[in-house]
Amino acid sequence: MTFPELVNSFFANTLDLSIPVFMPEIVLSGTIVLMLLVRIFQREPRFDVAWLALIGSAVALYYACPLFGAPDLKQFMQDHPTAETFTGLLIHDGISAHFRTLLLVFLVLFIIFTKLSGIPDRIDAPDFFTLVLGGVVGMCLMVASNHLFMMFLGIEMASLPSYVLSGHLKGRRKSSEAAIKYAVFGAGTAGVMLYGISLIAGATGSLHLPTIATQLSTMLGDGTLVGGRLAAVILGGLMLSVGIAFKLSAVPFHFWCPDVFEGASAEVNAYLSIASKAAAAAILVRVAFGFSHLPPPVPETEPVAAHAVEVADAPKLLLVSTAAAKKAPDSNLMLVADGDANGAEAAKPADTLAPVRGFIAGLIGVIAALTCTFGNLAAYGQTNIKRLMAYSAIGHAGYMMMPVSAGLVMLADSPTDAKTAVASVAFYAIVYLFMNLMAFSLIAFIRNSIRSEEIADYAGLIRSCPILVVCFTMTLISLIGLPFFAGFVAKFAVFASLAQAGLYGLLVVAGLNTAVSLFYYIRVVKVMCIDPEPESRLPVYVPFLPSMYVVAVTVPVVVLGLWWNELNEWVQMAANTLVF
Amino acid sequence: MDANTIIPILLGAAWLLPLASFVTIVLAGPRMGKAGSAAAGVATSAILIGFVLSATSLMIWLVANPLPEPHHPGGHHEAEHHDAEHDIPAGEHATGNGSTPFHAVAFLADDSADPSDDAHADADGAEAGHQNDAGDHAAAEAYTAPTPIVGTWYSLGEFGSLRIDIGYYIDTLTVVMFTMVTLIASCIHFYAIGYMHDELHDYTDPLAPTADGQPLHRPGRFHRFFQYLSLFCFSMLGLVYAGNIAMVFVFWELVGICSYFLIGFYFERHSASTAANKAFIVNRVGDFGFIIGLMALWASLGTFAFGDQVVDGQTQPGIFSLVRPADHSHKLIVPAGMVTAAAADEINEAVLSAPPTEAAASAQPSAAAIDQWRSEGYGYWLLVIAGLGVFCGCVGKSAQFPLHVWLPDAMEGPTPVSALVHSATMVAAGVYLVGRFYPVFTPEVLLVITYVGAVTLFIAATIAITATDIKRVLAYSTVSQLGYMMLALGVGGWVAGMFHLVTHAFFKSLLFMCSGSVIHACHTNEMTEMGGLRKKMPWTAYTMLVGCLAIIGAAIPFVVGFSGYYSKDSIVAQSLLFWQANPSHPWPFYAAAGGAAITAFYMFRLWFMTFAGEPRNHHVYEHAHESPKVMYMPLVVLAVFATIVAWPVPLTNLSLNNMLEQARPTGMLPGDGEVWSGVLMDNLVIPNELLSHELDIHVPATLIASGTAMLGLLLAVAFYGVGALDPNEVRQRFKLIYWWLWNKWMFDELYDAVFVRPVHFVSRTIANIDRTLIDGLINNLALGVRRIADIDGLIDKYVVDGLVNRTASCIYSSGLAPRRVQNGRLQTYVVWIVAGTAAIFVLSEYLGWLSWGLGITTAFK
Repeated sequence: MTFPELVNSFFANTLDLSIPVFMPEIVLSGTIVLMLLVRIFQREPRFDVAWLALIGSAVALYYACPLFGAPDLKQFMQDHPTAETFTGLLIHDGISAHFRTLLLVFLVLFIIFTKLSGIPDRIDAPDFFTLVLGGVVGMCLMVASNHLFMMFLGIEMASLPSYVLSGHLKGRRKSSEAAIKYAVFGAGTAGVMLYGISLIAGATGSLHLPTIATQLSTMLGDGTLVGGRLAAVILGGLMLSVGIAFKLSAVPFHFWCPDVFEGASAEVNAYLSIASKAAAAAILVRVAFGFSHLPPPVPETEPVAAHAVEVADAPKLLLVSTAAAKKAPDSNLMLVADGDANGAEAAKPADTLAPVRGFIAGLIGVIAALTCTFGNLAAYGQTNIKRLMAYSAIGHAGYMMMPVSAGLVMLADSPTDAKTAVASVAFYAIVYLFMNLMAFSLIAFIRNSIRSEEIADYAGLIRSCPILVVCFTMTLISLIGLPFFAGFVAKFAVFASLAQAGLYGLLVVAGLNTAVSLFYYIRVVKVMCIDPEPESRLPVYVPFLPSMYVVAVTVPVVVLGLWWNELNEWVQMAANTLVF
Repeated sequence: MDANTIIPILLGAAWLLPLASFVTIVLAGPRMGKAGSAAAGVATSAILIGFVLSATSLMIWLVANPLPEPHHPGGHHEAEHHDAEHDIPAGEHATGNGSTPFHAVAFLADDSADPSDDAHADADGAEAGHQNDAGDHAAAEAYTAPTPIVGTWYSLGEFGSLRIDIGYYIDTLTVVMFTMVTLIASCIHFYAIGYMHDELHDYTDPLAPTADGQPLHRPGRFHRFFQYLSLFCFSMLGLVYAGNIAMVFVFWELVGICSYFLIGFYFERHSASTAANKAFIVNRVGDFGFIIGLMALWASLGTFAFGDQVVDGQTQPGIFSLVRPADHSHKLIVPAGMVTAAAADEINEAVLSAPPTEAAASAQPSAAAIDQWRSEGYGYWLLVIAGLGVFCGCVGKSAQFPLHVWLPDAMEGPTPVSALVHSATMVAAGVYLVGRFYPVFTPEVLLVITYVGAVTLFIAATIAITATDIKRVLAYSTVSQLGYMMLALGVGGWVAGMFHLVTHAFFKSLLFMCSGSVIHACHTNEMTEMGGLRKKMPWTAYTMLVGCLAIIGAAIPFVVGFSGYYSKDSIVAQSLLFWQANPSHPWPFYAAAGGAAITAFYMFRLWFMTFAGEPRNHHVYEHAHESPKVMYMPLVVLAVFATIVAWPVPLTNLSLNNMLEQARPTGMLPGDGEVWSGVLMDNLVIPNELLSHELDIHVPATLIASGTAMLGLLLAVAFYGVGALDPNEVRQRFKLIYWWLWNKWMFDELYDAVFVRPVHFVSRTIANIDRTLIDGLINNLALGVRRIADIDGLIDKYVVDGLVNRTASCIYSSGLAPRRVQNGRLQTYVVWIVAGTAAIFVLSEYLGWLSWGLGITTAFK
C-alpha cells in the first residue's frame, strides 16, 4: 500500500464514514468556539450564552438522536451501520448512539435546569458552558472509543472540566477544596491508568481493543501469555480498571465523590452523577467486552453463515464490520506487531478468551458488590442531602456494574442474553438520568429558597410545597426500586440478567442492598412529610417554572414505570448492534 | 280558550304556586327580610293568588256547566218540599204533572232521555221559575252532568301497560275542593303571621328543657314554618288535582310528610317529636292497606287513571269507566280484568284442555265466558279488596277508628298547623279520596265505611266530653266529625259527606284558630285555667261561638241555620233512610243522632269553660289579651263563611249543596226501581240519596238532629253555663265511665299492650340473643384471637424484632464505619489510591474465590 493510497483511504474513511456520525461532537465543539468568541469580544455580558449552548446542544442532539433522522434506532443503524470510524479510534454502534443520545438529552435538560436555577450567573455562563460542553464532548468520545488511547483522552477530556466545575462556586471554601481533591485524586488515578495502558500496549503491541483481544486470544491459544507478559497484562488491566473505577466512583476509588458532591453545587452534582456516570458505564462496557471477545474474523470467503445469523439484524453490518476488522491492522495508528499473522487463528472456534472474561467478570462483580454495599451502608447517617445523594450515586454505580459482569459470563454460551444484560445497563442509565436530575433539580430549587441542603431543614416540606414533595417522594421510591416507578423496571432488568447468568451471590447482594437502601431514602420522605417544620427555616417558595420543571422530569419516572416497553425495545436494539 | 283548556291551567298554577313559594323559601330562607319575615309574604301571596285562581276557575266552571235545580239543601222553603215529593218517584216522568223530575233525568236515567223529557224539561223550567227566574237557563234543556276534564301534563314513564302520569281529573268536586282549601289556607296563612311572630327572633322554648334543665334557646324558625305550610298546600292541592290514583298516592305521602314536619315543628319537645312519629307511623299502617288496594287495582285493571285517557289516538278506559261502564248505565260491574284475574285457574284449565291449535285463542276468554264468570261472582272479592285497601289508607289519613289515635296528639304542632291539618288538608284528604273513589266501592265496602265512621263518631265524641285541653277537645271533635263524613258516605250520602267535609273545614279551622288565639293569650292549653275570657277577648269569644253553633248544627229548623245544620241534617236524614232500607242496621242512625247531642254538649262545655263564668286562674286572666288584628280578622272571615257557606245564593240556583250534586260521580244513584245491593251480602241495600229529601225522611231527621243538638246544648248550659248541675258530682257518680273516657277508651294503652310492648319484647329478646349469644360468641372468639395475637406480639417483639433490630443496628454501625475513612483529608485519599490499587492487586489473587462466592463460576472451569 503506497502512501498516497494510504492517504486516500484515510480521507475516504474519514469523510465518507466518520464525519457524518461525528456531527454531534463537531457541533458541540463549534458551539464551544462560538461561546469563547463571545467571551472574548463581549466585555459586558449582554448576551446570555446559555441560549447559545442550548441551541448548540439541541442541534447536536438532532444529529445524534436516531429519532430525528430515522423513525427508530434500527433504521438509524441501517442508515449509519456499525463501523469503526477514524481508522479504528472510535466505533459507531448502537451503544454509542444510545449513550450519546442520552448525554445530549441530558445536556439540553441540564442547560434548561441551570437557566432556571440561576447557577451559573450571566458572567460565568461562557466559562461554565464551555466546560460543560467540553466535558460532554469528552464523554461522547468515551462512549464511542474503540481504542485505549481514545478512552484515556476521553476520560481526561471529561474529567478536567469536571474538576473546574466542582470548584465553580468560587467564593466557597468547600467548593474549592472539593475541586482540589477531585483534581488530585483524578490526576492520581489517571496516572495509574496511563501506566496500565502502557503495560498493555507493551504486552500486546496495540491499544486497539479488537486487536488487543485478538492478541490475547492468540497468546492464550499458543501458550505464550506466561511469566512477565502475563503479569504485565494482568497488572495493566488492573491499573486500567483503577481509572474506570475512579470515573464510576467505585470502591475503593470513591473517596472524591462525597466530598466533591458536598462541595460542588447541586447543578454540577447532577452533571457528575448523570453524564459522567453514564459515560463511565459505557466505557466499562466497551473495555470489558473489548478485551474479552474476539472481533468478527476476517472471512476467507464471502459471507459466513454462522456470523450472518448472529448479526442478522443488520444486513450491511457484517460486510462493513468485517471490512473494518480487515482494515484494522493496516490502518491502525499504533504499531501492529504481528496482527496479520494471527488473524486467521483468531477465527478458531476454540474459546481462548474465556480466562480473560472470567477474570474481568470476577473483578467487576467483586467491585460492584463492594461498591453497592459500601454506598448504601455509608448513606446511613448522612445529614446533608447532597452527601446522601453522593453515596446513593456510589450505590447505583454498583448496580450498573453488575449486569456487565453477568454479560461477560453469558457471552460465550448465549450472546443474546449477554446483549440483554448490556441493554439493562443502558436502560438503567436512562432511568437514572431522570431520577437524579429530578432529585438534584429539587435540591437546587429548594436551596435557592431556604439556603440549606441539610435534610433536617426539609422537615415538613410537604406543607409548603406538596406537589414537589410528592414528586420527590415518587423519585425516592423509584431510586429504592419499588414498583410502579421506572426505578423498579430498571432494577428488575438488572436483577433479571443476574439471575439469567446464574450470579446468585451477586443477586443476593444486590437484593440486600435494595432492602438496606429503603431506610435512608424513606427517612428523607419521613422528614419531609411527617416531621414538624423547623421554626428557623426561611420560607419555602419555589416559583412556577422551576416547579413545572421538577414535575416535568418526574413524569418519565412515573411513565417509564408503567410503559417501559418502547424504551426496552430501544435499548435491546442498541445492544444488539454490539458485535460479538 | 274554552273552559276545558283554561281550568286545568288555572288550577295547575294554583297548585304549583305554593311549590314555587316552598322552593324560594328553601333557597333564600333566613335571608328573606329580617329573620326570614318575608317568607310569610311569599307563602301567603302564593296561596292567596292560588285562591283567586281557584275561585276564578270555579266561576268559569259554573258558567260552562250550569247547575241543576237545587235539591232544597235545608228544606227552608216549604214550596220546594212540595216539589221534592214529585222528584223521585219513577214513572212520573211521563205524567207531565207540572213538577217534572228532570233531576231524575240528570241523575237517574242518565243520558237516555227521550224526546218527551225535553218537553217536560221545558215545562219544568217554567215551573221552576217560581223559585227563581234566573234558573231558566238551566231548565232550557235536559240537564246532563258535566264530563270531567281529564288530561296529562307529563308522562313519567310507561311500564308495560301501566302509565304513570302527572295528569289531572277535574270535576266539580275538584274545583270546589280547590276553592275551599285555598280559601282556608289563605286565612290560616294570615293568622300564622301573627301567631308565629315569636319565631322571628331567638326563641326560648320552656317545654323543651335541655340536659342541664335550662329551657332550650334556639334561633327562630319563622321562615321554615311558612316553607312547610307552602309544601303542605302544594301537596294537598296536588292530591286534589291528581288524575290518577298513583299520583294521589304520591301527594298523599307528601301530605303525610308535611304533617310530620309541622306536627314536629317544636321537635325539641319530647311530646312533639313523639306525636310527629306517631302520626307518621300510624299513617304508614293505613298506607299499607292503600298499597294493597293499589296493587289489586293495577294487577287486575292495568291502569291507575281515574278517567278515560286518549293515548296515541286510542281511548284507554280509566278505573271509573272500567268499574262503571257507560254502556252498562254506569252501574257497578266487575271489570273484565278482575274477572279474568280471579278466573285464572279456569283459563289455565281451558288452555290445557284445548287442542294445541286453539290454546292461544282459549287463553283469551270470550266475552260470553267473562259474563258467565262474572255472574258467578268471580272477581267481586278483588273489587272488595281494592275498595277496602283504598279505604284503609283513608282510615289512617282521616283518623278513623282504629287508627284515630294520632290526631289528638297532632295538636302538638303550632295551632295554625292544627287548623290546617284538622280542616282543609290532612284529614280532608282521606274523606276526599273516599269521595273521589266512590264509584269503585261495593255495598259491602260501604257498609264497612259506615260502621267505621259510626264507631269513630261515637268514641271520639265521648272522649271529647272529658278532655280539658282545649285543643284536645277540638281534636276529638274533628275525629268525631270525620266519623260523620265517613258514615254519610257509607250510607250512600255522597253529597251529604262531601257537604259536611266542606262546611266542617270552615268551622273547624275557625274553632282551631280561635283556640289558638286563646292559647296565644293564655299560654296554656288547659281549660281548667281559663274562664271568663270573653270580656278580655271578645272577637275570639264570639267568633268561636259562631264556630260552636255551626258545628252543632244550630238552626231554626226548616228556616235558616248555620252551615253545620245543613250538612249534618242531610247526614242524619240519609242514615235514617239507610235504616229504613236495612232494618237490621239502625246503629248508623243512632250514632249520628246521638253524636249530635254529644257534640253540642262538649262544644258548649268548651265555650263556657273558656269564655264564660269566673276566671279560674287569675294570673292567666290578668295576662290574657285580645290577639292582634292579623289574627282575629281571619277569624271573622271564617266565621262569616262558617255561617253562610251552605246558604244558597239568592235568586240563583247556586249553592254549595247544588254544586256537590253536580259533582256526584256519574251513576252514583240507583236507577228507577233498581236496588243497589251487595253480592256477598245480598240483603244490603244502599238507598238513593235523593230519597232522603222526601218529607217523610227529611222532617223527622231534621227534628231529631236539631232536638238532640238542643238537648246537648241544654245539658252543657246546665252544667257549665248556669251551674244548675255540678260536673264534679256527676264525675263522682259515674267514676268508672269518667275514668274510661278520661283515658280515651284506653286505646293508647291497648295499642301499647297489643302492639308496642310485644314488639318491644320481641326486639328486646332478639337483642338479648344477639348480645349474649351471638355477640358473646364473637367476643369470645375475638378475645381468643387477641390472646393469641398478644402471644404472637410478644414473640414478635422479643424474638423477631430483636433479631431485626440487632441486624439493623449491625448494619447501621457498619454503615457508619466507612465514614471514618472518609475523613476529608486529601493526603489520606491519595494514599488510598495507592492502597486501593494495591488492594485490587491483592484482590485479584483471590479473585477466583470471591467470584465463586458471587456465582461467577463458569469462566473459571
